[in-house]
Amino acid sequence: MSKRSGTDGSLLNSLPWTLAALAFSVLPHLQFLPIWVTAIFLACSAWRLQVERKRWRLPPAWIRILLALGCFIGVLASYESVSGVGPGSALLAVMAALKLLETKQRRDQFVLLFISIFLIMSSLLREQYLWSLPYLLVGVLFTMTAWLRMSDTRKVSLGQSIRTGGRLMAYSIPLMIAMWVFFPRIATPFWSVPIDTSSATSGLSDRMSPGDISSLSLSDAVAFRVKFSSEVPPPHKRYWRGLVLHRFNGRTWTGNEPSLDSNARKDITFQGEPVEYQVTMEPTRQHWIFALDIPSDWDLGQTYMAQQQQLARMQPVDQRVTYNAVSYPDFLLDSELSRFSSDYYTRLPDNSNPRAVALAREMREAAGSSEVFINRVLRKFNQEEFFYTLQPPPLGSNPVDRFLFESRQGFCEHYASAFAVMMRAAGIPSRVVLGYQGGEINPMGEYMIVRQADAHAWNEVWLPRRGWYRIDPTAAVAPERIEAGRSGAMFDGIGASWGLNAPSELLYQITMTWDALNTKWNEWILAYGPDNQSQFMEWLGMDDPNWRKMMLTLIVIVIALIAIISLLLIMRYRPPPKDDAALLYRKFTRAAGVEPEMGETPYSYFARLTNERTELTEKAGDVTSLYLDARYGPTELASMKNLENAVTEFSRQKKTRGGRETHSPAS
Amino acid sequence: MQQGNTLEKLPLSAKPRDALNAARKSLGSIILGKDGEISLALACLLARGHLLIEDLPGLGKTILAQSIARVLGLSFQRIQFTSDLLPADIVGVSIFRQESGQFEFQPGPIFAELVLADEVNRATPKAQSALLEAMEERQVSVDGHTHQLPTPYFVVATQNPSDQIGTFPLPESQLDRFLMRLELGYPNEENERALLIGTDRRQMLTQIRPTMNPETLTALQQAVTEVHMTDPLIDYVQALVRFTRESPDIETGLSPRGALALVAAARAHAYVENHSGVFPDDVQAVFGPVAGHRLKPASNSAYRTPAELSRYVLDNVNIP
Repeated sequence: MSKRSGTDGSLLNSLPWTLAALAFSVLPHLQFLPIWVTAIFLACSAWRLQVERKRWRLPPAWIRILLALGCFIGVLASYESVSGVGPGSALLAVMAALKLLETKQRRDQFVLLFISIFLIMSSLLREQYLWSLPYLLVGVLFTMTAWLRMSDTRKVSLGQSIRTGGRLMAYSIPLMIAMWVFFPRIATPFWSVPIDTSSATSGLSDRMSPGDISSLSLSDAVAFRVKFSSEVPPPHKRYWRGLVLHRFNGRTWTGNEPSLDSNARKDITFQGEPVEYQVTMEPTRQHWIFALDIPSDWDLGQTYMAQQQQLARMQPVDQRVTYNAVSYPDFLLDSELSRFSSDYYTRLPDNSNPRAVALAREMREAAGSSEVFINRVLRKFNQEEFFYTLQPPPLGSNPVDRFLFESRQGFCEHYASAFAVMMRAAGIPSRVVLGYQGGEINPMGEYMIVRQADAHAWNEVWLPRRGWYRIDPTAAVAPERIEAGRSGAMFDGIGASWGLNAPSELLYQITMTWDALNTKWNEWILAYGPDNQSQFMEWLGMDDPNWRKMMLTLIVIVIALIAIISLLLIMRYRPPPKDDAALLYRKFTRAAGVEPEMGETPYSYFARLTNERTELTEKAGDVTSLYLDARYGPTELASMKNLENAVTEFSRQKKTRGGRETHSPAS
Repeated sequence: MQQGNTLEKLPLSAKPRDALNAARKSLGSIILGKDGEISLALACLLARGHLLIEDLPGLGKTILAQSIARVLGLSFQRIQFTSDLLPADIVGVSIFRQESGQFEFQPGPIFAELVLADEVNRATPKAQSALLEAMEERQVSVDGHTHQLPTPYFVVATQNPSDQIGTFPLPESQLDRFLMRLELGYPNEENERALLIGTDRRQMLTQIRPTMNPETLTALQQAVTEVHMTDPLIDYVQALVRFTRESPDIETGLSPRGALALVAAARAHAYVENHSGVFPDDVQAVFGPVAGHRLKPASNSAYRTPAELSRYVLDNVNIP
């Protein structure tokens, strides 16, 4: 029955530490995992701890198997897959929790701590923020401490364990740096990690259906950061062109798939002063590249201008990219528009939004000219009861009619859509541009932050001689949305829920400092990609760096570092190097053919040696006393010469005696 | 203030070393087959330490103490510790003299150069502490007057194993005041035979002559502190001390005071053994007596007795 007896409580000291380390490593995953994973993790931890405290029995194998199967099916049901970061980390967390239920001995705890390290590392697959580094360091230190507390049978103070763990980590820091510098960064990775599609919320949608989504969630996540090398344009010129939508089906605006149009750039006549800047764009997993309206040059590879002057890269932006660009806020675009294009950009579906179309035609006729008409429409938005709100009511079918005549509440998409429909109804070519508007200057880092909350939709209309030019109907309704120097939207979202109307200065300072730090982190740590690495390698003197050379260098450095660390450890824990006397004595014990035992003094060794081989007494005695005098006596007595002679004589005697004995044992 | 068996002081050989050798020889002739213990006892006294002999009754504890006193030419007093012994019985009392009209201090037996505290664990802690305080301070305070104890001053205490009936075991802090703790053990067959055949030991005791005087002893004590000690040996001592602190079998390792005691005792032993410097053998010889009563085995350790524990430490530390 011993198999079924309860635990003996021997893990009670180390188990809380293992649990704490495990919890710490699961922590960053939990917000992405289904809630039941957290529940299972907590339940198993509590259960295991109680088992140890109350000396209960661990659950039998069949329960554990059932639980494991259940959890596997649970993960499968939650994710419909078992591969990828989401299901992978869910499986790891759940299985770590279940492993607790069969943790009987120290070895099982080792496994748990390995899983803990693995979980810590896998959090990097999700995100590599600035806090990832301290989290990693603390997490590994935590695990190391748990490890030490588990391995140490002696009573060691917590401080001591942490110090030892810290020292072990300190040894690995040079290795870490070498790995970071030399591990080859490859443009197309060997492996690709499927990221949860559910978490890829950033980026603009490439279609627009005002009224479908009744509320816009404002994310203060950074879309991109900009450093201007020329003067920063005023807020009303900060329009970051993204994609252009030009097809309307009555509800939804859509655009083209990104494609190269070699004529697109030729259609632009640049005017005025250029603006030069550098954009660091967060990954969007889309093709669109953002530039200030309207870009003339950019240095991002495989990036082309598409038909409606939108920039697109052939590969989607999966990693953070940095590019330099030049834009001309003043421009003349498409001074001539072909009849076909003119038709195309005024096309509206039949029988949709009839009231809006009728109103537009009526207003156009009353206005007499397109310019007057445009102004009247804008004035209509501005002076009649239109409201800018982020929580507009749903609009149903004919959304433009509903918006213009009934709800009259909406955000940029509603206005842009309604405006474009009215223009088209009046025969003025128009389209919708999606991008970002605004951006706030971070005084800490002298750069501009453009957030997801700055996403915006505006219009372009074409008039003869003026070409395509930008009209932002939202500005007519809510000019503060455009003119705000500081992103108020972020605080509208967060601050409003706290009952704050204006952001406090302190919060603002903290946010800005944090973002500036993040920017440095991105610039110095995360931006170290293939390009930077080869540049750095060349700077270090490596000709034509490729991944083989870097890997080889890395291996050499790792071996060298391990050698240095081992040497340091040997020097720390080995006794000081043997002196001459000790070396001669070693020679003597070798010649005697009997190995001294641990803790055996020269005298006791001598006694043991001569106990069996009495004929050796004299010479061995000489060696022993000379050695003791030389090694432990005052220096004036030490005579290496005599000791060396004695050892030589002993060896000689040993040899001849030994030889004689084999030949004639009788003597 | 030398009382009791005051010995006649003889002109002695000029060389302390010869005197010491003679003392060893004399002692060896009385206590048979215990040369190692004699060396250790002498080393203890030369290192200015007090000696605790722990063993069963009848193994020659008292004889050893008495003969040491005689051979070294020290005044000797014996205090038999009993459960009704009072501190005043040890340190002395002040008596009112009618003729002078004053109190006069009547020194107790503790004022001898060598005090044998027999069966020290039979007395109450109060009486024990009177002795142990005197040992530590080397002075006695009675009625507000401080009386210096003689120099040289040694206490040889004997105690019965604490599992015997009617004992008050000395607490660890008191044990620490003894430099060494020795066990005599039974003599071997041969020596026991010689003992049975030979003259009565007590009678022999009266016949041995002192081999030195207090000055020689002081010179010896000085010489002991100058015994050479090399770096490898200090490494060895440190390794031993570290092991006692780190071993899972030992709950309380050696304190720095214990380490100092180990070094002092090893020096004295090296001197007694006439070594050119302190040898690892000296450290090993004194390790058990010095460290045995200072180490506390862990509750789950297989090594229960001081001897086992010392052996375990010595067998597991490499000699550098």
